[in-house]
Amino acid sequence: MIAPRSDQTAAPIGRVVATELRPSTPHQFHFWTATETSIGIGAIVKVGDGSQESGDRVVYGVVTEGFAYSDLATPLHDVVGAEGDPARATDAPTARHQIRYWTAAVLRQTPEEPLQPVPLGQVFVADDADVAQALRMDAFLYSATPTAIPVGLYTAAGRDAPVYLDADFLLGPEAAHLNISGMSGLATKTSAVEFLLASIFAHFPSHKGRVAAVCFNVKGPDLCFLDQPGDLTEEDRRRYARLGVPAEPFRNVRLFAPLKADGVNLNTLRTHPDLVDDVEPLTWGLQEVVDFAEVLLNRDDIDAKADAFIDFLRDRVLGRTFDDGFGTTHRVQTFADLAGFFRSIFDGLEIIAGGRSDTWRTHHIATMRKVRNRLLNISTRCKGLVTDDGPSSDLPWKGFEDRTVYVIDIANVDPLGQDLVFARVVSKLREQLERRELGVDAVVVFVDELNKYAPGDGPDTYVKKMLLDISERGRYLGLVLFGAEQFRSQVHRRVVGNAGTQIFGRMDMDELATPGYQVLTPATKSKLATLPIGELMVRHPHFTQPIFVRFPKPPVLRGRDGVERFPPAADVPFEEAVVRQLVRLDRRVRPNQVKDLIADREHDDVRRALAAARQKRPDDAFAYFRKVLGARVESETQDAREHHAVPPLNPIADEPY
Amino acid sequence: MTWWQQLIRAGAVPGSGSKSDEPEAADHADLVEGTELQAHPLADGAQIPATVSFLNGMERWRIRAYDGVIPLVDAYIAAAVRRRDERGVLHTTAVRSRAFAVAAVASMPPTLRESLEGAAGDIAPVDGEFVGQPARYLEQVESIVRRARAHLERELAEAATLDLGTDEWLVLDGRLSRSPSVARHPRALGVIKSHGAQFLEGRGLERALTLPAGHRTSVFAVRGGHTRTETYSWYLRLWPWEGNDLLYGLLRVEARAHADTVARASEISAWLWAERAPLATPATRWDRLLYPLHQVAEYLKALAPRELHAQRAARLPRTGT
Repeated sequence: MIAPRSDQTAAPIGRVVATELRPSTPHQFHFWTATETSIGIGAIVKVGDGSQESGDRVVYGVVTEGFAYSDLATPLHDVVGAEGDPARATDAPTARHQIRYWTAAVLRQTPEEPLQPVPLGQVFVADDADVAQALRMDAFLYSATPTAIPVGLYTAAGRDAPVYLDADFLLGPEAAHLNISGMSGLATKTSAVEFLLASIFAHFPSHKGRVAAVCFNVKGPDLCFLDQPGDLTEEDRRRYARLGVPAEPFRNVRLFAPLKADGVNLNTLRTHPDLVDDVEPLTWGLQEVVDFAEVLLNRDDIDAKADAFIDFLRDRVLGRTFDDGFGTTHRVQTFADLAGFFRSIFDGLEIIAGGRSDTWRTHHIATMRKVRNRLLNISTRCKGLVTDDGPSSDLPWKGFEDRTVYVIDIANVDPLGQDLVFARVVSKLREQLERRELGVDAVVVFVDELNKYAPGDGPDTYVKKMLLDISERGRYLGLVLFGAEQFRSQVHRRVVGNAGTQIFGRMDMDELATPGYQVLTPATKSKLATLPIGELMVRHPHFTQPIFVRFPKPPVLRGRDGVERFPPAADVPFEEAVVRQLVRLDRRVRPNQVKDLIADREHDDVRRALAAARQKRPDDAFAYFRKVLGARVESETQDAREHHAVPPLNPIADEPY
Repeated sequence: MTWWQQLIRAGAVPGSGSKSDEPEAADHADLVEGTELQAHPLADGAQIPATVSFLNGMERWRIRAYDGVIPLVDAYIAAAVRRRDERGVLHTTAVRSRAFAVAAVASMPPTLRESLEGAAGDIAPVDGEFVGQPARYLEQVESIVRRARAHLERELAEAATLDLGTDEWLVLDGRLSRSPSVARHPRALGVIKSHGAQFLEGRGLERALTLPAGHRTSVFAVRGGHTRTETYSWYLRLWPWEGNDLLYGLLRVEARAHADTVARASEISAWLWAERAPLATPATRWDRLLYPLHQVAEYLKALAPRELHAQRAARLPRTGT
């Protein structure tokens, strides 16, 4: 991993200087270099050569500020010398004395105790071994059970050295979570996360167990082609080799997308005929939705009465045989059943009770109407994700596989539906990780646009509470949040504050002017504002100062390129879509047979039969489909469904504990 | 209106300044260019030699102890040659220094003398006649140190001229005539900024001292300095003197006594005129100090022992904050 230290003695590139006005301290020192030097802001340097001046002390530092000045006493003298003509200023035969003067923040001192001011001495460019020492990576890189995850290459002075994160502090349990922020399109946030996931999958130590990733694709085709190879340059491949990460796309990717409103076409941009077979439908019924009813209620809706009525539905009505008191017995298993249930109650209050009462079982009719509207509304707004009827198609709960990426494409789903998907998936992950029954020991959840899902201000939504919960308690469970946003200052401070590892791409100057960046020097801010694509600033618990690294382009097809190479197919007619889905299940299926079979059938019946076939995956798909279509397709029996109440989330408060 | 304003209105040139350079003895100069000293405008387009070396020196001394009323002085002198590369950056090619004690050894008690001779290997003696008069004694010390510096610079200049490349020039701060070999070198120039020694008189002197900026005088032959080697010389005005004193921006240039010097005086003057920038600030005589020579002096100051740096004005402890 780390190249052995060269026996050849490196030439010093600078010298520490300390004056009364600008002395060395235990945390900062100053040095000068030749005018033409290869180091710059972010370079890691080493002070100490065992000379009498520096003694046995070795100090590692990162350059945080640079100064250049000449012996010019006042700018006016330059004007006079050039006789007021800037063109003549360059005619001066002698170049003025100049200095390159640098300020470095101490990364590490050896010995660490007693902590002393940095001694005078020669300054050297850090080599691989020095970088490992400086960033305290030696503890987790050279231990018997290494936990090093490459994050990129530190590049300075014509050298590069791998920089590693500690898996114990990236994925738990010591610390966890990663937050990445930067300008849209220039900070390469998604690319960085894709590379880091590849790096985690390649280097996550076996003694720490199994790891998977769940990525929510919330915009365009960003994460739709993680299994397809992208174009890499020779330099990218060299960087992959240097970091020990295979330059290849993810081997195991499962992509889930809801259906469109027609119930048969997939609501994703990965619909090219060559790829669409790999996309699995994501559809949920009433049972999956109702546990997260709070997601569907806006702030004004949340009150004790609505909560009480939802609890009543959940505990007494759903999946049970229930007498409404007006002479009708209900068994509510679908949205259609729920609609009938509400209709029966409202009719009962109007007709049977003669409109004299506006309460039913202590619940006010207005509360019931509000809850009914919110619940039934979701099946309309998110048609395709939420089905009125029929079986659901879900993630492989309890069957997550090691080093697999699960992409959930909700880019084209109504925002309310996105919230619902996010809330339910994360809750299920948390629930199953708590029970150690998910199939993996750690899950990275990648959420882009944290500005939207966990804003620093605005209402306390269920999703925000959930993100806070992951941030504060996820590391104990192995539930790790990789969040990305454009403006870190606008994300809830406890979400970003709990991220053990923080990465910054190119930043907007306005963002850098916010208080969260006050610890950075003006030079570092300036570098952040002009970072090239592929370079990031990393903060990690082991690093006492931010470090700049370069990472290779991710080995996967970028979303934009993917759409160009695999243009999405147009929606196909209902019959054709049914045929394709059945052929996908069983290649022996004959299209004409299917079309003849469904020619005069209700679409809802066909959808139910198709969903049943998808869920069952029988050997003879057509025979099973025909059999199911022959009769009313019963929904999955819910009696035996074990209701796992999702642990309540703590209310958002300023005090996290 | 003041009386001098009235005079300026009547035709006098505005000026300023106070005490000028200390007068020095000088021989009469013989004009070698033309029949009368004239002001010549400089040639257009300076031809600056590709490679030029600059020589300058420095001196420092401080009283370290007293033997009765006799000061015991610690002295340091140094000289350096720095070559200018094609990017205009100076690089040191030669540097010499000497640290020595200055003391009236013969007048010292035996114990102190033995101790001084044992501890300070290099001692410059002061004549016993100055003992007992501290003011004259210190003038003598200063003279000894200055002579030692001149000697060091002469040695270095002689060595530097031997190492000069085919097209390389040597510009040194002060008179060229200190060394015969240097004074005869075809590509050595002396740049003098003190004008205590006046070689001209009458109308010639007036023309020289009121020379307009961007002009040089006719070339004249001078003999002077320790070696009495003849050199050719001329005055060159770098900055307008009007509003300042007569010597403001005035240089005297020395080159070898050769017809070629006369032929190239305008070309060389144009080159030195181009050396006005960068300004040699914050040196007090920046108006006639070439920046490369200033830089050599600064280089030597940086090498000088810190304890010999100029004494602070106030002797009270000072903090940097």
